[in-house]
Amino acid sequence: MFRSILILLLVITNLFGGEYQVDKSQKNIVKFISHAPLDNFEGVTDKIDGYIYWEGTDLTKTSEMYFEVDLNSIDTGIGLRNRHMREHYLETDKYPLTYFKGKIISSEVTGEGIFSVQAEGTIFIHGVEKPLLTTGTIEKENDGYNIRTKFVVKLSDFKIEIPSIMFYKINENMDLQLDFFIKNAADK
Amino acid sequence: MPGKLIYCALLANFLCIHSVWPQKISWSHSETSSSELELFHSIHVISLPTAETLQKGDVEFEISHRFTPPVKKGYDAFWGLDGPANIRFGLSYAPSNRMIICLGRSNVTNNLDLQVRYKAFQLQNDVFPLLATINLNAAWNSSVDDRPNGDARNFQYAAQVILNTLLFKKLGFGFVPSYLYNSDIFTEDIKYSITMGSYVQYYIARFWSVMLEWNPTFYGWRNRYNALSMGLEIETGGHFFKVFVTNNININLSQYLTGADKKFGANSLRLGFMITRLF
Repeated sequence: MFRSILILLLVITNLFGGEYQVDKSQKNIVKFISHAPLDNFEGVTDKIDGYIYWEGTDLTKTSEMYFEVDLNSIDTGIGLRNRHMREHYLETDKYPLTYFKGKIISSEVTGEGIFSVQAEGTIFIHGVEKPLLTTGTIEKENDGYNIRTKFVVKLSDFKIEIPSIMFYKINENMDLQLDFFIKNAADK
Repeated sequence: MPGKLIYCALLANFLCIHSVWPQKISWSHSETSSSELELFHSIHVISLPTAETLQKGDVEFEISHRFTPPVKKGYDAFWGLDGPANIRFGLSYAPSNRMIICLGRSNVTNNLDLQVRYKAFQLQNDVFPLLATINLNAAWNSSVDDRPNGDARNFQYAAQVILNTLLFKKLGFGFVPSYLYNSDIFTEDIKYSITMGSYVQYYIARFWSVMLEWNPTFYGWRNRYNALSMGLEIETGGHFFKVFVTNNININLSQYLTGADKKFGANSLRLGFMITRLF
């Protein structure tokens, strides 16, 4: 009898959610990509943190997520450009973080341990909060999950001034790509 | 019986660890990262260095000119731009966030110089941030008339302490005491010079600044006058463009520190520029 209960729990709890936090020991990547006429560049960081929480087997049921990126850590490959980003555009002394907080509103199984999800919430950049609807995948990976998503932000929506001087053109739209790992908070 | 106890223990474990019931979020914010103290935007002012270093892995290419004809010659010499000119090429590399290694060449006596700059001290605060950097320089004048290229007198050595601050995030001050060994490579006995370089740079806008640089000889050998320069700097994502007037057309550090050949004044000012590109 006990054996049966245990087996049942094993099956059930494997499907249940819980709190998952960013696994900083993994190779997490957040990219800010600017396609500019003269100077394409990428800003890259691994400094992402946060959590996702859901209950039961349904990812959309009472789900909650919060992920933040440390903007001081963005590396565009040139120190001077990093400094310009920090001081002139992102003003990281005032706004050191960008974050997304929201919830999963739809989820679809697209493969073994792979979910295609849609999340809605608000994104905060440079002191401005805007609604954001984005899609991504959550894929089972060893003891945790791998989350991948990408979306576009319009810099002027966040009161980020576009430099206009020669040799320094930045695209008004910046692509954000996130590829990071989470694991159960209880395992951290 | 022991088997049942094990099952009970496992059951309790699952109920505790897994979130079958709603739980309080345990995640909390961690500290955000801090960057190196950065004051001046460029690693150069005009001819003197700032206390800044580059980001690890950065490479900077530099080309500088000091035109020999004075600006006063006007259109006939295209305000000096017709040349001739003293020219320097430099290549810097940052093996760490605090160190730069730079190799440069000037066409004046084929002066090759190697500089190693190390950011030794930084004081972060809003009122009076301070950076202190040490710069060591070895120069080889590899083409001196009537003397073998490898003659010991063709070598010069310099050391500098560079102190920088930036007030109100706009007004930069620098003080650069310098020592130069073998200041005049043509005299019989070995000369040395101690100079007390200083500069001020005002950042007018995000990418524009004006600068004034003075390098008086405090002790030891000097060419005829102290060096004085002033100019404008424009920066972009990876470039600096500097245009200035100066009374000192010596360009590599070991030559610049010896002073100017002409007095600073309307009749003697020469144009110069520096362009740097970061990779």
